[in-house]
Amino acid sequence: MWLLAALAAIGDAAAADADRHALGRMVRGDQDALAEVYDRHVRLLYSLALRIVRRPTDAEDVVQEVFSQVWRQAGRYDMSRGTVAGWLVMLTRSRALDRLRRERGEPQTGDIESASRDVVDPGVGVDLQLVDEQQAARVRAALEGLPDQQRVPLELAYYEGLSQSAIAARLETPLGTIKTRMRQALLRLRDALAEQGT
Amino acid sequence: MSTGETDHDALREQLPVYAIGALTGAERAVVESHVRGCTACAAELSRFAPVAGALAQIVPLHDPPAALRARVLASAGGRVIAMPARRALTAWAPWLAAAAMLVVAVGAGGYAGRLREQVRQLEAELRDARARVDDGERRVNVALVALADAQKPLAIMTAPDVRQIDLAGQRVAPRAAARTFWSPSRGVVLMAANLPALSPGRTYQLWFVTPAQAKVSIGLVKPDANGRVTTVVSNAANLPDPAALAVTDEPDGGVPQPTGQMYLVGAAH
Repeated sequence: MWLLAALAAIGDAAAADADRHALGRMVRGDQDALAEVYDRHVRLLYSLALRIVRRPTDAEDVVQEVFSQVWRQAGRYDMSRGTVAGWLVMLTRSRALDRLRRERGEPQTGDIESASRDVVDPGVGVDLQLVDEQQAARVRAALEGLPDQQRVPLELAYYEGLSQSAIAARLETPLGTIKTRMRQALLRLRDALAEQGT
Repeated sequence: MSTGETDHDALREQLPVYAIGALTGAERAVVESHVRGCTACAAELSRFAPVAGALAQIVPLHDPPAALRARVLASAGGRVIAMPARRALTAWAPWLAAAAMLVVAVGAGGYAGRLREQVRQLEAELRDARARVDDGERRVNVALVALADAQKPLAIMTAPDVRQIDLAGQRVAPRAAARTFWSPSRGVVLMAANLPALSPGRTYQLWFVTPAQAKVSIGLVKPDANGRVTTVVSNAANLPDPAALAVTDEPDGGVPQPTGQMYLVGAAH
């Protein structure tokens, strides 16, 4: 019982509510609300940016751009959609990938994602959803357990923003094979999330 | 856009990749258009939303530099924070030299007064620059100490039988988090961050919880002023296989069985 109660206590519904509330305060110009959201999420956002852009100074720039955008566009965030944390992560990944593409001399928009599109995209889309520690650990283990031929294309897509055709070219593998392997990899990660972690 | 059965199947195959934001603009538009009118695909898509999130969350975690906070708040919130940088120093220097010559040439006392004010300002900026250098040196020293400390847990973390168990902060400390490495042959390493300071006379204690709910004390956990700690327990042979790990708040010196609130918990799977 002791253990069950402990595990059930894991949850960040309170933090999600606080984020939404803070966004509302930002719209009214409350800078403390920005600091609050920053303190709650910067570690994850900075780490994600660093994983993508590799250089700490670039990762700092990405984080600054993201919070600048959040401050300016807090009022445009659709509260009925995913969590604020999910939105922040999506913005961070987009900004970081844009920076990476700029360095590679590629166009920053229209290839895979554009930061502006993530904000105002009225499409069906799917809102990125953050998971708890146990689920993240299972996904990490599942990713590490994937064969290289599945894991590498997935990492190139998610952390380097390469399109499936670009991945096929880089790995000198037919496009159809890359598509199949990426799909298999993602199905495996989804199944890992669904596993019971007691 | 109308899509037939074949299109439906082909597009359904692309949903996972779409969900993690890895389709090109053109590919994405086609998938979005289809999903808007296909409830089956919309439902399938939502099952991949947590995969997209998890991929972001499993990156190695790093703390951003402390100075980033002020920079972000200043730029986003429109607050102007004066940055007395080295640039200011070099920009002032030629002007100062010119002003000095002018003072000599004209002999005007008014200039001398302004000049003294500027010298004071430059001295202040110099002090600030020196403080930054000192701060940089301090950080290097901290890193060197951390490196030396890191050697100890390395033996455990690289053991052939090592297992990783992550602990999540509970209601009392939602921002706290920890990662443990447990090697039955070599011991336990616990690395925690954001642990709140406890009241005087209290200490954190780490427990193994067996599948039969028995709790075995592993040791005391003493975070620094910033709530960070790396605890290494080398004499951990003959420990039971845990179902979970927990960190609780206990009286100083520790107790044989947990009595206080839980701050961190993680299942060992």
